[in-house]
Amino acid sequence: MTVHTRHGDALDGALAQALGGRLSRVDGPAKITGAAKYAVEQQLEGLAYAVLVESTIASGKVRAIDTVQAEAAPGVLQVLTPDTIISLRTASDWFGTPPPDKPYCPLARDITFSGQHVAAVVAETFEQAVAAAALVKVSYDETPSIVDLSDGKAGDGIPIDAMTKEWGDAPAAFAAAPVRICAAYNTPREYQAPMEPHGLVARWEGDHLTVWEPSQWLDGMARTYAEWFEVPFENVRLVSPYIGGGFGSKALALSHGAVAASAAKMLGRPVKLVMTRQQTFTGYGGRAATRQTVTIGADRDGMIQSIVHRGVNETSIDGMWVEPLGSVTSIMYATPNFSSRQNVVRVNSVVPGAMRAPGENPSAFGIESAIDELAYVVGIDPLEIRLRNYAEQDPHAKKAWSTRQLREAFAAGAERFGWARRSPEPRSMRDGNQLIGWGVAAGTYPVRRAYGEAVVRILADGSVEVESSSIDMGQGTYTILAQTAAETVGVPADDVVVKLGDSRFARAGVSGGSRLAGVMTGAVHKAATSALDQLVGLAISDPRSPFHALQANTLVVAKGRIGSPRGDGPDVSIAELLKSVGRDRIEATGDTMPANSTAEDRYKNYTTIAMALPHTEGDYSRYSWCAHFIEVRVDEDFGTVRVSRVVSALDSGRLYNPKLAESQWKGGIIMGIGQALLEEGIMDRRHGRIVNNNLADYLVPTNADIPDIEVISVGIPDPHSSALGGKGVGELGIVGVAPAIANAVFHATGKRVRDLPITLEKLI
Amino acid sequence: MTKIPVHLDINGQHHELQLEPRVTLLDALRERLGLTGTKKGCDHGQCGACTVHIDGERVLACLTLAAQAEGRSITTIEGLAREGELHPVQAAFLEQDAFQCGYCTPGQIMSAVACIREGHAGSDEEIREYMAGNLCRCGAYPHIVAAVRQAAQEFAS
Repeated sequence: MTVHTRHGDALDGALAQALGGRLSRVDGPAKITGAAKYAVEQQLEGLAYAVLVESTIASGKVRAIDTVQAEAAPGVLQVLTPDTIISLRTASDWFGTPPPDKPYCPLARDITFSGQHVAAVVAETFEQAVAAAALVKVSYDETPSIVDLSDGKAGDGIPIDAMTKEWGDAPAAFAAAPVRICAAYNTPREYQAPMEPHGLVARWEGDHLTVWEPSQWLDGMARTYAEWFEVPFENVRLVSPYIGGGFGSKALALSHGAVAASAAKMLGRPVKLVMTRQQTFTGYGGRAATRQTVTIGADRDGMIQSIVHRGVNETSIDGMWVEPLGSVTSIMYATPNFSSRQNVVRVNSVVPGAMRAPGENPSAFGIESAIDELAYVVGIDPLEIRLRNYAEQDPHAKKAWSTRQLREAFAAGAERFGWARRSPEPRSMRDGNQLIGWGVAAGTYPVRRAYGEAVVRILADGSVEVESSSIDMGQGTYTILAQTAAETVGVPADDVVVKLGDSRFARAGVSGGSRLAGVMTGAVHKAATSALDQLVGLAISDPRSPFHALQANTLVVAKGRIGSPRGDGPDVSIAELLKSVGRDRIEATGDTMPANSTAEDRYKNYTTIAMALPHTEGDYSRYSWCAHFIEVRVDEDFGTVRVSRVVSALDSGRLYNPKLAESQWKGGIIMGIGQALLEEGIMDRRHGRIVNNNLADYLVPTNADIPDIEVISVGIPDPHSSALGGKGVGELGIVGVAPAIANAVFHATGKRVRDLPITLEKLI
Repeated sequence: MTKIPVHLDINGQHHELQLEPRVTLLDALRERLGLTGTKKGCDHGQCGACTVHIDGERVLACLTLAAQAEGRSITTIEGLAREGELHPVQAAFLEQDAFQCGYCTPGQIMSAVACIREGHAGSDEEIREYMAGNLCRCGAYPHIVAAVRQAAQEFAS
C-alpha cells in the first residue's frame, strides 16, 4: 500500500541504519510533506457522506424518529434508523467467543448512554449530511440514569473473581503491623483523544467489502466486519496505511463502522463517515473511572508486612470492561501478605475501553502514592523505602524476573535528577512564591507476547521488501522493521521498503499492549533469515553462480554485496547474483507460530487475542520497568501546578531504535502529565452527559505545559521477552507519572491529593 | 443551497470551484481538491491540525470559509517544499523526530514556519507559548521545540 520516499538525512549513516541505530523515521518524509494519505483520505468516485445522530438522553427508549424533514433536505440519499438499516449478525468478541445467534443493530432503540448512535444521514456532500442530520427529530421515553460511580444508585457492583489475588493473611498482618496507612485513590474518566478522529470509508463490490479505516488491528476488525455482514473473512479488506494516533482506541470495529458499511451496502456507493470530535467522546470508551483503597501495614523501618487493596471501575449497562487495578499493586513490592479484589459497577456510559496502559496506569497511581505516604509516616526517603521493599522476584507469580533493571533505573534517574540534594521536609524548598516539590514513582508494564508473521522479498535490484498487515500509528514500525530486515539480510536500511496496513499482506495480531515491536521484529527476523538462507543457498549451489566453483559452506552478505567469509573469491552485488542465476526475486514467509499449528490456530492467532502468551509463562515473569523523578512548582497563592523538570530512567530491554523509543517514552510521560494535572471527563448530572466533550474543555497537554524531559535507557537485552531482546515501550512511559507528580505536589505543599487531576481548587 | 464560484490560489496554483458558501476552506482542500495534507482534528479551531497560511499568516482552515480565501494566497503543507527540497522546518522535524503519528504534523509545521517568521522563536519558552495552539497527543512537544529552535537558528545564520 505504502511506498516511502528514500530519505537523505545526512545523520542517518550506516551506524544509524543497523538495528539499535538512531535511524530517522522512514515514513517521516511522507508525513512532513502532507503526502501520507491516512485511511479516510482515500478519494473514490461516487463517494457519499454519512453523519451520525446521537441520543440526547442517557437512559430510556427511542419512542419515534421523525425523518420527514431530513429526507426532504437537499442532497440527502438516505436516512438510517433502527427500522430502516439492514439487519446484521452479532459478531464474536476479541477472545473469539462464539456470539449469540441474534441480529445486531448498530443504531439503538434502547438507550443506555448519552451519545449513543440512533440514526444516520447519508448525503451527496458532507455539508448536506451535517445540515440534514440536524433535522432528524428523535423523541424518547426517558428513565433515570446512573451518572457515574458517585451516583447513589450505582451500588457496590459486581465482584470480578478473576481479579482476586491473595497470599498470606493480609488483614491479620495489617492489624498486627506497628505502622498502618489506609487511603483512597480516585481517577476520573479519561479519553484517548487521538488527533485523528475515528472514521472510515466503506465500499462494497459484490459481496466483497473494502474498509479504509484507521486501525490498530486490521485482521481483528476484518473478522468483525465479516461476521456482521455474514461474508467470508477473505472478502473483507482493511486498509490503514497510517493511523493518526490510537492509544488503545482503534483496535476494534465499532458501531459507527457498521453504520457506514451498512449504508454503503444499501446505497451501492462508497460511504465516508467520520466522527465529529464531540462524538469521539461517546462513540467509543475512554479509560474507566476508578476507585481504589490501598492499606499498607509495615514495621517501623518501612518494611511492608501487608497490602490490602480494593478496587472498583465503572463499566457500561450492557457491556463489560475490567480495568485491572491490582496489576501493579501485586508485583511492585515484596510483601509476605497480600490481598487484592475488584468490583465493576454499571453506569450509563459507553463501554469503557483500552487507554495507554489500561490497569497498570491507575493501579500505579494507587500503590505508588501509598508507598510515598508510608515513607513520610516512617520518616524514610521515598526512594530509600522503594529500595528496601524491592521485589527480588515476582511476588505474585513467585517466579524470577526475566530482567528487572528497576534498581538501575532508580540509581540512574536519581543521579541525573540530583535526588540526593532533596530536602526531605514538605514545603522546605521554594523559589520566591513558588513551592518546589520533588517526587519519585516507579512504573511497570507486562511484556505481552504473541505469534507473528511476515513476508520478506529480495528483489531483482537487490532491494528488500517487507510486508505485514501490522501497522504504524507512530511507534516507528516502518522504521524498525526496515532496520530488522536490513541487518538480517545484510543490506542498508535505505534499500528496504516496508509495506504495512493492508489486510491483504501477511496477517498480524493486535497492535496493543506494547507487543508489536517484539512480535514483528521476531517475525521479520525469521522471514529475512529464511530469505537470506535461500540467497546464499542459490549462490553456493546454482551452477550459474560465480560462487559455484568456490565450493564454500557459507557466504557473507553485507552492504548489499555477497562474498566469502575469508574475502577470497568473487564479490558481487545481490542484484548481480540474482541476474546470474536467472531469478527476479526471492520470497520467504516467516512466522513464529508453533510448528504443528493448524490453519484454524493461525486464524485464531491473528483475529483474536485468545492465543496471546502469558507474561508469566514458563520460568520467568516478564515486565518493563521505569522510575520517574519529577519536579513541580506550585504557586503558593493560586495553587497552580507546573511540571518543571522530568528525568525518567526506563528498562524496555533492548531498544531497536533509541531515537524513536525515546519519543514514545516522552509521549507517555506527557500523557501522564495530562492525566495528573488536566484530564477529566466532567458529567452533567442532570442529563448524564459529558459536558467537556471537545478539545477546548477536555484539556490535553499543550506545548506550553511541557518542560524538557530527559529519558535514560537502562534496559539490557531480555532473551525471554522477545526474539531480539526488546520489551515493551509504548505504554511504559505513562505508568507512574501521575503518582510521581502527586508525590512531588505533596513534597511542595504538604497536601496529599488522591483524586486526579490535581487541580488548583484541591490545593487551596 | 446555491453554489457560488470561488477562485482559490493554492501553492501558486489557481483553482476554480463551485461551492456552497458554507463550505470551509478545510473541506474544500480535503474533499474537493484532494489536498489532504491539511488535517481535520476537531473542526472547531481547538487543535490546530488544519493550520495553513493565508497571505503568509497562519490561519485555521476549519474556521475559514473557502469563499473568505478568494483572491488571497494560500499555502498548505503540500506547497512548503520547493523543487523537492524540504523546507528547513520540515528537515528539522525529521531530524529531531518531532512527530509520531504524523496527524498534527502538517499543522505544527505550518505554525512553526509562521512562528519563526513572526519573530516568536527567540527562546524555548517563547516557542512553547507560540506553538501552544497546535495540539499533539503523541506528545512530541519537546522535539517540536528542538526542531523550531534548530530551524530558527538556520534562518538567523
